[in-house]
Amino acid sequence: MIRVQEAAFDAGAEQRALLADRTDIGAVVSFTGLVRDFNERPEVTGLFLEHYPGMTEAALEKIVAEAESRWSLDGVRLIHRIGRLAPGDPIVLVVVASAHRRSAFEACDFIMDYLKTRAPFWKKEHATDGQYWVGERDSDLSDARRWE
Amino acid sequence: MSLTHLNARGEAHMVDVADKSESRREASASGRIHMQPDTLALLLEGGLPKGDVLATARIAGIQAAKRTHELIPLCHSLALSRVAVDFSVEADKGYVEVTASCRLTGRSGVEMEALTAVSVACLTLYDMCKAVDKTMEIGGIHLESKRGGRSGDYSRETVVQETLAAASVPIVTSEGDAGQVSLRSRGGGTDTGIRVKCLAELQERLGVGELSVPFDTLPSADVAGIKLALKAMDARFAGLEEGRVLCAVNQVMAGDSTPVTEDDEVAFFPPVTGG
Repeated sequence: MIRVQEAAFDAGAEQRALLADRTDIGAVVSFTGLVRDFNERPEVTGLFLEHYPGMTEAALEKIVAEAESRWSLDGVRLIHRIGRLAPGDPIVLVVVASAHRRSAFEACDFIMDYLKTRAPFWKKEHATDGQYWVGERDSDLSDARRWE
Repeated sequence: MSLTHLNARGEAHMVDVADKSESRREASASGRIHMQPDTLALLLEGGLPKGDVLATARIAGIQAAKRTHELIPLCHSLALSRVAVDFSVEADKGYVEVTASCRLTGRSGVEMEALTAVSVACLTLYDMCKAVDKTMEIGGIHLESKRGGRSGDYSRETVVQETLAAASVPIVTSEGDAGQVSLRSRGGGTDTGIRVKCLAELQERLGVGELSVPFDTLPSADVAGIKLALKAMDARFAGLEEGRVLCAVNQVMAGDSTPVTEDDEVAFFPPVTGG
């Protein structure tokens, strides 16, 4: 299940919903990304997340489908927030369930790497000395290339 | 609006201007020739084998304006009172901008003369420099302004600004002045052609959110063709070549060679930074 929303999410509730009435799942890995108060500039007071409606959902669907084709998974939940966020706010959630831990760990890692380089989201950070669009990171690109 | 060079049966004919009153007519046009930085440097130093490139191209442009009627079938031969051809070497942007202006007092407009002067001046620049650079590209030739005559005054800058303003309907979620989040509408435009969107930082940098590009203005039916058409339409789209700019056709990641068809949605945006 994939959601793009302004509202906050509850990682615990999402994980419980994913596992509800299932006893064949042996491993669940959950990743939550948070807004940091330092990034390209030291004092980030908040950020604004913009996206490309329509393509965003399609791109996330494709990433999850790719993960499901590479690993044997029993369920995936992917939530990405948009709009205004403050330091400490949860921004992205990936929950992956599988029969065995290795698949769950790797698939969760893969989904985040591909999301960071292929899903059309853009961050504009607000710092004490002004606003700026966040630039891409070489480390994100090399992380994503690990899976090729 | 109708085409003045076609008669009632749709056949080409020369417009009879005998009954038009004489008035002062002016037109200016411009175009560009892109070249390698080394070629531009040689041009500025005067180091090219055929000699003074700009002086030769200027004379060629003036001569061409005077002979427009020999080249364009239904143009009248005109006694131009003034032809000026000027060059602006934009070394950091990698091109020479050519502008031409023509004037006369008479019964016919002079925009074809100005456009011909620009075209031939660009071709002459190519000829003068081709020994050292075969990658040169001529483009963006257009009418800048026109004054006098029955059809009235025209200024491309004004028309383009109005078109861009009318087409600027952003589609992405963004922040209002009061810090509130709003989902803006996709707009209800009835334009046909390719819908082009510029997103996020690119939208801010170019000052354009969304516009329509007529399919028949594309030099080639792919993403590279859209970029050329946009750059010919407005100089600010040169920004599409600055930094890494990604592209999606119908919301799927695409490259310069991705084919496009009429009514496609093409988006340009900076590298993604979500997560």
